[in-house]
Amino acid sequence: MTIWWQRLRPEQIRELSLVVLIGVALLIFSSQIENFLTARTFNRIAASVAIVGMVAIGQTLVVLTRNIDLSVGSIVGFTAYFVGSQLAANNAMGAPAAVLLAIAVGGGMGLVNGVIVAYGRVPAIITTLGTLAIYRMLLINYANARTVTVDSLPAWVVELSRQTLFSIGDFAVRPLMVVTLAAVVIFQLVLIYTIFGRRLYAIGSNPEAARFAGLPAQRIVLTAFTLCGALAGLAGFLFLARFGTITAVAGQGIELESVAAVVVGGVNTFGGSGTVLGAFLGAFLIDLLGQGLLRWLGISEFWRDALLGLLILLAVASDAVILGWLRRLWQARTEVNHGN
Amino acid sequence: MQSRPVLEMREISRRFGSTQALDSVSLRLYPGEVHALLGENGAGKSTLIKIMTGVHQPDSGQILLDGRSVRIGSTLEAQRLGIAAIYQEPLMYPDLNVAENIFIAHANRGLWVNWERMYRDAEAILAQLDVRLDVRQPARGLSVAAQQTVEIARALSLQARVLIMDEPTAALSAHEVDQLFTIVQRLRDQGVAILFISHRLEEVFRIADHITVFRDGQLISSAPRSDVTPEQAIRDMAGRAIEQLFPRRNTVRDQVLVQVRDLGRTGVFSGISFDVHAGEVLGFAGLVGARRTDVGLALFGIAPADSGTVIIDGQEVRITTPAQAMRHGIAYVSEDRRGLGLSLPMSIAANITLSTLRRYLTPLGLVRRNAEIATAEAYRHRLSIRAPSVEVAVGQLSGGNQQKVMLSKWLNTRPRLLILDEPTRGIDVGAKAEVHQMIDDLAAEGIAIILISSDLPEVLAMSDRVLVMREGRFMGLFNRHEATQERILAAAMGQAATLDGKS
Repeated sequence: MTIWWQRLRPEQIRELSLVVLIGVALLIFSSQIENFLTARTFNRIAASVAIVGMVAIGQTLVVLTRNIDLSVGSIVGFTAYFVGSQLAANNAMGAPAAVLLAIAVGGGMGLVNGVIVAYGRVPAIITTLGTLAIYRMLLINYANARTVTVDSLPAWVVELSRQTLFSIGDFAVRPLMVVTLAAVVIFQLVLIYTIFGRRLYAIGSNPEAARFAGLPAQRIVLTAFTLCGALAGLAGFLFLARFGTITAVAGQGIELESVAAVVVGGVNTFGGSGTVLGAFLGAFLIDLLGQGLLRWLGISEFWRDALLGLLILLAVASDAVILGWLRRLWQARTEVNHGN
Repeated sequence: MQSRPVLEMREISRRFGSTQALDSVSLRLYPGEVHALLGENGAGKSTLIKIMTGVHQPDSGQILLDGRSVRIGSTLEAQRLGIAAIYQEPLMYPDLNVAENIFIAHANRGLWVNWERMYRDAEAILAQLDVRLDVRQPARGLSVAAQQTVEIARALSLQARVLIMDEPTAALSAHEVDQLFTIVQRLRDQGVAILFISHRLEEVFRIADHITVFRDGQLISSAPRSDVTPEQAIRDMAGRAIEQLFPRRNTVRDQVLVQVRDLGRTGVFSGISFDVHAGEVLGFAGLVGARRTDVGLALFGIAPADSGTVIIDGQEVRITTPAQAMRHGIAYVSEDRRGLGLSLPMSIAANITLSTLRRYLTPLGLVRRNAEIATAEAYRHRLSIRAPSVEVAVGQLSGGNQQKVMLSKWLNTRPRLLILDEPTRGIDVGAKAEVHQMIDDLAAEGIAIILISSDLPEVLAMSDRVLVMREGRFMGLFNRHEATQERILAAAMGQAATLDGKS
């Protein structure tokens, strides 16, 4: 006599509960706020989730290996500014070249993080805290108090964030969101169906066992950081496309938002479990709450950071309680020999 | 001696979900008595200990201390009542010194640490145990045996009257077991009641005054040692008779698979030479600290050798990483299942295929889950891994079943040389017999096996030849018919030349 939900694994329950939470939040906000359930709200959320979600994918890869990347905000800012100024200087540069440039610059920065963490054996939190400051400094130096402006960019860049590929009712599907959704699907599949994905989980859940199994742990961690940087670079390009105006403080705070998305999305901070889809849903829920509370209670933008912090703490604390509870439930059902 | 029991458990029951862990169990611990508790994994021993130490509460039943009914609500309360427990793996604060570790539980010794007094007191307690240990030395780097001594001293410092010892000898060498038993006897003479839990029958019969057997949460038998025989105890534990000797077939083939010559790693071991034939089980015997595991790790490339040669199939090879070792057909099954062997949150199937995922790829580089699950199912069937499905997380399995998953993982690399490091440590009698059967079967398939084990009867029964090491050095190699407990122990303790008379 199995009930359908008992057949789910803990990660799937987590993803489902995020969907339920999103539903509940939508219900509450739509009943409390006039004109909340409109295409405008969603387009706004979609535009910002496209960026944070992209970064959260990379962050998931890194967190799965028991590491963390705090430098992603600076990478987003640097690539947005760097690619923006290149495009401003050379309006003839095409889209593929610009995107590749963003990915390469971000990937290079991620590679530096990865080398220091995997081969220099410096803890990730220290390494990336250092590069967070250093990459930001590079940007400030490079920008030299100038700003990339919308007018200086080729028209197609700015168009990316306004263009509508197709519409579902009033809801416009924009290129930025499509790119991020595609990345979510691709990396979700990578995690489930590739050797690299499996190894990420193995290294995160037991690094020593992974070494004994002959896995090239250092190379895998390096790859995770590089991919995280590359995705942050791509997010930097999306950032440029969305805002057009880029200053030296661009992307600040994205590290916090991406970590929040990952944690709320159910990725274990001790590595080894979680999914890209969960992290994306986490990013969505956070942005929805932010938008909703902003309009409902009229809280200020500054409260957003506090909200993020609160959500991170809640997610981690509830994880310990809820997941433990779920596991016991699941265990009782499977009736595995309990040992002693 | 039958005075009043210091601790009495009366009709204790406890249920976890659908499992009746303890079913109306009664037990009396008398001062100055070593009471042994036997039972397979899952028999309820750990649950009883956890109730005694306040980790769990009983669903029903009474706990009497000195005849008064008590409620043990927490480990702190248990400590205050004079009930202490030490475990297989001691709980140490590695950066604190021995004295600090002993007195760590003493919260109210004043605001300031009186270091001189603490060192004096620590030395006094260790002297009471007749143990010499530098109390200023940090706990990091102490042997497991020394750490256990520190734990016993910690219990004594709290005036423990009941000392629970859960598998205290599992990680000790024979010599260290002797030392521990001397301490246990000393404590007994001082009037401490001791509850002793061990999987090693000979030890139980050596040290215990009273033997109780649990099975499936029930008390099966309880009698003074003089009224029990080992065969009887085993029958009670298993509920069925188990052959004490493992049937080994003669499976050794002529082909020499691996030749190791003068292998060494600076500062760890040196001068290790041996051959292994296909189908042979080569036992590695020695006391703890003999560095047998290090030889295994060197062959597997975790901590590579820096001198000597390894020849596989007549070809000299250099092995510096596990990946290389695996390419040469070497697999190493670690004794540390949780730490080094398995990824507990991952499924059985994912664990089994972790080292061999390449075999399960489609041309596009994606993992074929069906093929993976089929492999895992085959192993589940072959090694009778008890699990509802191969997609269950390994962390949910019992120790014996985890061991089987780990073995499956390495068998799936299709090894020609399988290094088994303490494959039966801490698993129950039934699972142990299954592992022995498996070793025999694998040897029959022509796999060469190096069996590292501190369980001397096991080494003797399973090995075609036994290599003995002591403190990183080769002490002798014995054929099956010349290997006796006495000879091997003598070699392991460095007395080969005088006793053997041959070398």
